[in-house]
Amino acid sequence: MQTSFDRENVDVAWCPGCGNFGILKLVKEVLEELHQEKRQTVIVSGIGQAAKTPYYIDTHMYGVLHGRALPVATAIKAANPGLTVIAEGGDGDMYGEGGNHFLHTLRRNPDIVHIVHNNMVYGLTKGQASPTSQRGFVSKVQVEGAKNEPFNPLSVALSLKAGFVSRVNIGNYSHAKEVLKAAFLHKGYALVDIFQPCVVFNQVNTYQWFKENTYLLEEGCDSSNFEEALKKAYESMPMPLGILYQRREELPTFEMHVRGEDHRPLHEVRHDHKKIQELFEKY
Amino acid sequence: MTIDELKAYDGRNGAKAYVAYKNNIYDVTESPLWKEGEHEGVHFAGEDLTAQLAGAPHGDEVFKGFAIVDKLETPSSLSQTETQTEADLKSKLRSWYKRYHPHPMTVHFPIALHLFAAAMDLLFLFNPQEAYALSVFYTFFAATLMGLVAMVPGILSWWINYDFSSYRPFIIKLVLSLLVLLLGIINIALYLNDQMIVYHDSFAGLTYHAIVLFTGFSVIVLGYYGGKITWGNGSKPVNSGEKHQANAAAQALHSMAKESAQIPVNDQHVFSLLIGGPAGSGIDTIEKILTHALKASGYYVYSTKEYMSRVRGGSNTTLIRISDRPINAPVWEVDLSIALDESALEHMRERYTEKTLVLADVSENGTLPNLITVPIRERAKALGDRRYANTYMAGFIFGVLELELDTLLASIDHYFKEDNENIKAAQEGFKEGAAVEHYTLQELPGSDPKSVEALHLMDGTTACGFGFLAGGCTMVTSYPMSPSTGVLNFMAERSKEFTIVVEQSEDEIASLNMVLGGWYAGARAMTTTSGGGFALMTEALSLSGMTETPAVIYLAQRPGPATGLPTRSEQGDLNMAIYSAHGPFERIILAPGTLEVSIECGYLAFELADRYQVPVILLSDQYLADSMSMIDTVDFSQYEPGSYIIQSKKEYQRYTDVPDGISPRSVPGLGEGLVCAAGDEHDEAGQITESHQTRIEMVHKRARKREALLQSALMPNIEGNGDIAVIGWGSSYGAISEALARVDDPRLCHVHFEWVHPLAEKQLDLLKKYKHTVVVENNASGMFADQLKLHDIKVDKKILQYNGFAFFADQLAQMIKEKIKEL
Ligand SMILES: Cc1ncc(C[n+]2csc(CCOP(=O)(O)OP(=O)(O)O)c2C)c(N)n1
Ligand code: SF4
Ligand SMILES: [Mg+2]
Repeated sequence: MQTSFDRENVDVAWCPGCGNFGILKLVKEVLEELHQEKRQTVIVSGIGQAAKTPYYIDTHMYGVLHGRALPVATAIKAANPGLTVIAEGGDGDMYGEGGNHFLHTLRRNPDIVHIVHNNMVYGLTKGQASPTSQRGFVSKVQVEGAKNEPFNPLSVALSLKAGFVSRVNIGNYSHAKEVLKAAFLHKGYALVDIFQPCVVFNQVNTYQWFKENTYLLEEGCDSSNFEEALKKAYESMPMPLGILYQRREELPTFEMHVRGEDHRPLHEVRHDHKKIQELFEKY
Repeated sequence: MTIDELKAYDGRNGAKAYVAYKNNIYDVTESPLWKEGEHEGVHFAGEDLTAQLAGAPHGDEVFKGFAIVDKLETPSSLSQTETQTEADLKSKLRSWYKRYHPHPMTVHFPIALHLFAAAMDLLFLFNPQEAYALSVFYTFFAATLMGLVAMVPGILSWWINYDFSSYRPFIIKLVLSLLVLLLGIINIALYLNDQMIVYHDSFAGLTYHAIVLFTGFSVIVLGYYGGKITWGNGSKPVNSGEKHQANAAAQALHSMAKESAQIPVNDQHVFSLLIGGPAGSGIDTIEKILTHALKASGYYVYSTKEYMSRVRGGSNTTLIRISDRPINAPVWEVDLSIALDESALEHMRERYTEKTLVLADVSENGTLPNLITVPIRERAKALGDRRYANTYMAGFIFGVLELELDTLLASIDHYFKEDNENIKAAQEGFKEGAAVEHYTLQELPGSDPKSVEALHLMDGTTACGFGFLAGGCTMVTSYPMSPSTGVLNFMAERSKEFTIVVEQSEDEIASLNMVLGGWYAGARAMTTTSGGGFALMTEALSLSGMTETPAVIYLAQRPGPATGLPTRSEQGDLNMAIYSAHGPFERIILAPGTLEVSIECGYLAFELADRYQVPVILLSDQYLADSMSMIDTVDFSQYEPGSYIIQSKKEYQRYTDVPDGISPRSVPGLGEGLVCAAGDEHDEAGQITESHQTRIEMVHKRARKREALLQSALMPNIEGNGDIAVIGWGSSYGAISEALARVDDPRLCHVHFEWVHPLAEKQLDLLKKYKHTVVVENNASGMFADQLKLHDIKVDKKILQYNGFAFFADQLAQMIKEKIKEL
């Protein structure tokens, strides 16, 4: 499907067969189907294979540092609340290097969509374990296999009361599309963790593996039950896919806190020098 | 014309009004501000105002509208060295005098002898016996002789200690002493001519007795005025007319200094007060009330604090200085000190001189001669609450200084809003303070409510805050860190009134990344931090460089490495500010040294960042942030933020390769184009590229911005005409300025940098014309000196201080004197 978000003449840097292609298509199609205006859309990404995605989407983009997409995206949303803001990157980028920002973005609740390509490996740096790598994952660094408890983004997000917590598998494209659409429509922070096979550096967590070790949450199940969601977030083998939790009531977002009713882009804001003068004269 | 010729143009009685400033002579005759050759009753036509304006809130700009009619001829270098040797001699004599104090020592002899002679003479007049007559003559003879002995050191002291001041007591003493001497000689001659005249009621006989009795009375008058010179006017209210007279000596010195166009910052013009106590004891409250009340009393006020990194206990101090002129530097030695407990006394002890009056809440007064025990805490408790100690002490200080109680009460009311208990505490303190007897306390300088009323009292933090407001700041994202947090607080407090997004970030990494997000989307964003936090920001700093996203960083320095001395001061992060972050990219570093410049730099930081698309670092430090002084009204309409972002066209490319390297910047949603910014090396469209040609083009494009931005470089501020440049940067401005006024050496001049990086050719050329350079820095290695050397500027000497304190003007003056000898 052709979308208005297709960018021409770009040299895509991914390996053939990589799950990232599916995610690129997914994001573009969702934006298109939601009639998103590309001049009102910004994608911020860090560094990694996943983080290259916005370079291939025809919209505003800011490619920042490894791990730093979330604070940048949060500030963009506050500076211009009229923009649709997406933060996108890999599991290492978002949960490792940017782990602290992840925690605090959950607390801030900016109205952004947070897309994490979770391939359970560091792709760009050639195959080291990532925070989400399963125990026993062998690499050139983790020579005896990864020993640490895998990072569980869903339970972490839930523990900080994120309003939209979801996981999809890019191998199940149509389900992923539904969930991502719902994430865009959610007002407030929305996490979409996407299982994405890395066909070069992760021979364990393959398309097949993700298919065998996941199940779809029943349609119509109550996604607003926080306790249920927390329980599901800890399920493994198989791991649930879908919207684990979506809060019914809308909570104020970060930009509402810092901007109130004033949604002007900040470049339109000018301080009145007479007011500064008045303030100065009080000293 | 020379300074003497200039005097004729005093604007009075139809004469033209000329004033000299920085070697130019301006005609101010037509100015309504200079009616009858007088400006605000402070400055007078016919004088060189350079030194008077050195610390004034305004600078060269005030003379821009006036015509230059001539140049002021400076004395030849020969006469300059003459004055120098004279000054040297004087200071040698002064220290000799201080040790032996010959005048007070000898002056008692003639007084006693003359009185004794007069008493004997009275006895003789009642009972004319020869024995009385003989003792009258011999004591009178000895008295006259000893009078001469006492006069010589008296006149010497008049010269070396009082600069031949024309203060009335001096003149009275001089005339009367000479008269007593003359009459003494006449009487001795009369007696030797005819010893029998004592028994005659002839003219000669009557004259003889009259003179003996008159001189006996005269020495009482002489003693009275001698005491007046030494002790001043004691217990009279400060603002009464008489106090002004008592200050005449100071005034006389003031006008003398004005005439010679050099204002030594001597004790007559400033009074320094040091308050010490544990953290949490409310010194801050005393400081707030006192500075407010002292300003209202008509003084130029300055204050600075020094505190430990703890919330309770320890020993913190606040230094308050008041003056009859603008003042902007700390000193080490103080005139009056208040110690709220024993450890505060210990902490401050080394800053006391023999003259320092110390009021301390201690059980014993130990070994300090001028210590008066004041049971502050006990008195506060008796007044109802420990918390009244602050207002009680403020009252006490006003009492000791004989200032107007009502002014203080108004200030207390300003802060405590109808709190009768605090008012009562202050009244009580005032009463008790006024009753204190003390003899050594330095006189207060003259007050001038009219000229300070229009001024504003604030600290560097606040001034920087105003600068950032003026610069149009709309977003502040910071992680708290002393001593930068004040600016974060200032901006947060005003955030609702002015539409400023303020967010406390999870760490400094997030802070600067948020700043970049803000700018990318159209905000004018900044962060506040100190060295450790800035270190965490360095990767984002390079992202600013690569993506050409502006950023403003308020970096308030404190001594490192690591956590260092969290609450103290140092100019130690210059190298980090210049070199931190990987890869080459342009940045600008500004370092203000006064409140005015802080505002200007705050504004400029945003303008420069936006205009050149570079990070701008404003280097402050604990000293600048926490020190208060006075600032004239600033006209904020002159600080209009510029518009640098463009409406994008459809084919917009964020990194278009333009001649000056500054690609037009747009923001998302503003226009038809897409804004694609990349932290990877990119092409003009912002797409990642590894093409080696594009890499070279982009490196060159970014580097070309330097040439453009250097055109905005601020020239250093220069004071003085000497050919030895004393070079400073940033917060040390006030200390160097006052130190040089104290050293008062025409060979020196003060060159101060506010734009510290990158150094521009025009700044460097200016330095090349000096014969010698001495760089003064608040760090251990001389980082700015190294920058100058890198740019082929010869650095002869360095004065470095890295003990956690900013420079004290009195100590720095000493250091400069010593260093100059080595040249
Ligand atoms: C500060 C910093 N540290 C390390 C790197 C090197 N680095 C680049 S991407 C990456 C990990 C990528 O893993 P992930 O985020 O999972 O992305 P993927 O390539 O797997 O999509 C690392 C360690 C970097 N660019 N910056
Ligand atoms: S390395 Fe892995 S994640 Fe990266 S493009 Fe290749 S397959 Fe995809
Ligand atoms: Mg990965």
